Amino acid sequence: MSRFQGQADALAGNLPSLLVAADRVAATVAQGVHGRRRAGQGESFWQYRAHEAEDPTHHVDWRRSARSDALYVRENEWEAAQSVWLWSDASPSMQYKSERDLPEKRERADLLTLALGSLLVKGGEQIAPLGRQARPTQGKAAINLLAAALSDRLDPARMDVSDSLPPHEDIPKYGRLVLLSDFLEPLEDLNRAIGVFAGRGVHGHVLQILDPAEQDLPFRGRTEFEGMENEGAALIGRVEGVRDTYCAMLKSHQAGLLDIARCAGWSCGFHVTSNSPESALLSLYTSLAGPQDVGAAIGVGA
Amino acid sequence: MLTLGAFSFIAPFALLGLVALPALWWLLRVIPPAPRRVRFPAIKLIIPLVNPEQSAAKSPLWLTLLRLALVTLLILGAAHPMLNADNRLDGEGTLVLIVDDGWTAAKNWAQRQATFSNLLDQAERGNRSVAVVTTAPRGSGDKRPQQSVMAPAAAREVLLAMTPKPWATDRQAALSVIKEIALQGDPQIIWLSDGADHGTAAAFAAALEKVGTVTVLADAPAGLPRLLLPPTSDRNGLTLRARRADPASGRTMMVRVRGGDDGAVLTRKAMIFEPGQTAARLTLELPVEIRNKVTHMEIENENSAGATALVDERWRRRPVGLVNSADPKGDLPLLDDYFYLARALDPFTEVRTGDIPELLKRKLAMLVLADPGIISGGQRARLVQWMQNGGIVLRFAGPRLAADRDTLLPVKLRKDDRELGGALSWTTPAQLAAFDENSPFAGLAVPKDVRIRRQVLAQPSIGLSKQTWARLTDGTPLVTSRKFGAGWLVFVHTSANPTWSNLPLSGLFVGMLQNLVRLSRGVTGTTDDRLLEPAQSLNGFGLLGAPGDGALGIKADAATKMRPGPQHPPGFYGDDTAGLAINLAPSVTTYKPLGSFGAGIETGGYQEARETNLRSWLLSAALVLLLADIVASLALRGFLGVARIAALVFAVVMAGPTFAQTVVQGNISEMRHDIRDFAPTLDVRIAYVKTGIRAVDNASRMGLSGLAFIANSRTAAEMGEPVAIDPGTQELAYFPLIYWPVTDNTPVIRPDTAAKLNSYLKSGGTILFDTRDQGGANFGTERLEEIAKHLNVPPLRAVPSDHVLTRTYYLLREFPGRWAGGRLWVARKGSRVNDGVSSVIVGGHDWASAWALDDERKPLYPVVPGGERQREMAFRFGINLVMYVLTGNYKADQVHVPAIMERLGQ
Repeated sequence: MSRFQGQADALAGNLPSLLVAADRVAATVAQGVHGRRRAGQGESFWQYRAHEAEDPTHHVDWRRSARSDALYVRENEWEAAQSVWLWSDASPSMQYKSERDLPEKRERADLLTLALGSLLVKGGEQIAPLGRQARPTQGKAAINLLAAALSDRLDPARMDVSDSLPPHEDIPKYGRLVLLSDFLEPLEDLNRAIGVFAGRGVHGHVLQILDPAEQDLPFRGRTEFEGMENEGAALIGRVEGVRDTYCAMLKSHQAGLLDIARCAGWSCGFHVTSNSPESALLSLYTSLAGPQDVGAAIGVGA
Repeated sequence: MLTLGAFSFIAPFALLGLVALPALWWLLRVIPPAPRRVRFPAIKLIIPLVNPEQSAAKSPLWLTLLRLALVTLLILGAAHPMLNADNRLDGEGTLVLIVDDGWTAAKNWAQRQATFSNLLDQAERGNRSVAVVTTAPRGSGDKRPQQSVMAPAAAREVLLAMTPKPWATDRQAALSVIKEIALQGDPQIIWLSDGADHGTAAAFAAALEKVGTVTVLADAPAGLPRLLLPPTSDRNGLTLRARRADPASGRTMMVRVRGGDDGAVLTRKAMIFEPGQTAARLTLELPVEIRNKVTHMEIENENSAGATALVDERWRRRPVGLVNSADPKGDLPLLDDYFYLARALDPFTEVRTGDIPELLKRKLAMLVLADPGIISGGQRARLVQWMQNGGIVLRFAGPRLAADRDTLLPVKLRKDDRELGGALSWTTPAQLAAFDENSPFAGLAVPKDVRIRRQVLAQPSIGLSKQTWARLTDGTPLVTSRKFGAGWLVFVHTSANPTWSNLPLSGLFVGMLQNLVRLSRGVTGTTDDRLLEPAQSLNGFGLLGAPGDGALGIKADAATKMRPGPQHPPGFYGDDTAGLAINLAPSVTTYKPLGSFGAGIETGGYQEARETNLRSWLLSAALVLLLADIVASLALRGFLGVARIAALVFAVVMAGPTFAQTVVQGNISEMRHDIRDFAPTLDVRIAYVKTGIRAVDNASRMGLSGLAFIANSRTAAEMGEPVAIDPGTQELAYFPLIYWPVTDNTPVIRPDTAAKLNSYLKSGGTILFDTRDQGGANFGTERLEEIAKHLNVPPLRAVPSDHVLTRTYYLLREFPGRWAGGRLWVARKGSRVNDGVSSVIVGGHDWASAWALDDERKPLYPVVPGGERQREMAFRFGINLVMYVLTGNYKADQVHVPAIMERLGQ
């Protein structure tokens, strides 16, 4: 028991800084992008428009109409809340960093998830962690719930290879889903996993997070590569010799991922952990906030 | 044993292992090193890239070479190679090593030791027993048994303890020792001789031949040391004499004359042997002052007791007694005879003062009486007796002599004195005539300006002319003398002060006194049989040092006939009053090279080089290569980062020398420490006190660094990076400001640290205490009181609105840090210490956190309640604080600006 206690303490110690860091990242983005700018239900004024036949009489803004001959209807800004489900990959393959100064892919994914959650909550949206059968909630509590969900998965006892793919959960139509992972699974598996959500009319965004080493394969000489999820080992005589082939394969994998997203009508982004998290967060933000232009690939982080 | 040039191998069979090297080469090349292992998430993309037909990798060439070198070193080390190994020994019996360790052995002592040691190595390898016999007589302090047979290891200890002796060898005594030794088997005798024959060498060799097979090692005759005899002293200077054993040895040698308190070299002269001669002579003309300083002389580059000659009082400045004045004029020294005498005598003699009996107790060369008044009968008798034994008494005339006639004079005097050139006289003061040939003053130039105004006159007599050593131009005697036994009574017919003549003011006076002192036959007086303790002794290498245990005192009268030996080593004996130098050289009678021996005796020379065992070096090198191989293997498999390899290699390379350095030179690190202490003075730096809590220390460091950046960019202050200090151990004087974050577990300042801080505060330093608690629990005030209870904190008060701190750079109303609100406490205005600059500033705003900037100059911590204005204000407070500690109350004058402006307007 005491072992679990100690681990829990260590996790609790790690969490606040992650929250703070996410907050800070969120604060820098919030200044750049603004609300949804369309008429809808809400309290603040948006625009006047000409009165049309189907508009009820009590919608006429008499004060504005009195200044001219036509009748005007006052419209308020749309302020409906959106529900967003967030998921970040916590499989062993995400616990990788090629250099000491870099963050692990999982750390970056969690950081971005929390930061995005924080941004969404500030924007008044409802969020929920995917795979917990939780209802989307609003406010600070939603962030805490998300953080708890993320830290839960750090327990190695609960870590599973199957975490590499997003778990299935019933998400209502028009819900939004954000998936953060290295997406190094075979394309068929990825297509199946995303297709389940897309078939239900869920819109989403996928962000592939890679380590610089995975992108460039910087090793040299005789090297034995070993998988992190029991995939086996591969002995390469001269890594320099296969580097170009590897890069081409990675590019085609990424193109495949982009195709899958485009087919599902989702957007897709790429991020490398050596780049700053702000840019990735910004791309996530814009793809979520902007008009849902289907299949737009944005913010290629390479 | 296999010998290749200077190398030889003790175990040559191990070299066969070298044959296996090509096979090893092939083996190493075909077995590749294990691959580097990498955990890699994108393995699925790698797997298709594996080429099943790839050939087996080979070891890199450099690794193979490294391993081959390692094995080669091991094989060579196993073969036990030696450098300069010698193989002189064969046979089974006891090895008898006879060592000449007299004064002649000192010259090539290192070679003798090396040869000795090599012989012991060989004996060790051959498992031989060893007997060591030294030929020089041994001191009574040396208790080692000499006639025993021992193992080579024990003989090595004998070797280490062996030094050349500062006396001659006694081979006959050694022979009797050898005969007592219980020798085993067929003894092999090796005589490490000094190459010199002191008369008995041939007989000794013949006696040895009866004991066993004999090998004689000897220096070449030309290389034998030369002998420096003590000099003879005469009027012209010191005459050095030297001897050599063989006429064929070097003709020229340099002689160093040393002296003074520190034994400095006074002069250095070449001494040349005439061809074919074994004796040489050199006269050193030295100024008297220099000559008096000489303590010993030595032949350059021949460090032996025989090449060093000691010199004592007999060769040096002579003691002169000056009899006390009957009428001392202590306050008017220029009227006193003794002033002029002492001044003239002091440079070349040792002047002693006292009354006659007291002076005669000690040895004197000359006694000077300057118009002493009446001499009593007893004293007269003693003086006469002293003169009979060789003393010189010098008397001067004067008013008292003119009044009371005295008979202790060389000539009879006329009743009254003669005055020349006075107010009542027609004559002019008289000049001196040139000195006669037979006068001791002969050769001294007579200055024209010496005038004698008054003198006492001698009764004309037949012998007067003979007794006169100096006269005036009119023939009147000025200096007269009379021989008393071996000594002299000398009388100067005028006074020793300038009242009667200006002779005492002239250089001639000094010259005359010098010649009179030279007339004295050294120290004159009765020799006694006092026992003189040894004061300093020469060692075998001719160096003066403390006398050994065996050195005994010596009778003063027996000294000249004594032969130096263990009881009486050459050196200085007696105390300062009666120093006596005993030299080795006069006792050396027979000194010639060893002749040739009979056919049964083998001869040889000494070895230059000590044999060196190379095995340990080779094995050490192999060990280093092994470590390098381990590191390389680990690196190839990817277990080490580059930085770690570098650190490891560095540690391996540096470990050995570093240990040696720390042991030998302990104070170097201290010096470095000092230099590091000075580093903070190159910039204005703020110090912060380390709390031991990492978060707080980091905040302090980054905060002060951020403040320095802001201050540098906005003000004229040029600040360096902050320094973390421990006020208990580090020097504080370099820091204008110390930032002291107080945490809830800051320990109480210890009294000694507090004393240091108090002096820091008193000398103008400032401490900013930050309790960092404005926003949270207010533990700070009481805690700070507790912590600083030993500190001289002045009475504090909240910062008034017109305090200098509010206007040193920016105009401020509040002083926020990370937390806003609250108060800042400074010293009450009344305290005039440091021009009223508060030495202690206390607040709880956690300023460092507000100032902390990251690498991109972005703030690290949010400020509470918040807003960039608060952070800006925090920086402004920081700048004001820096200006405050740097400029003091300079801006306090601003307080009076309205008044000044008003006055100017009027």
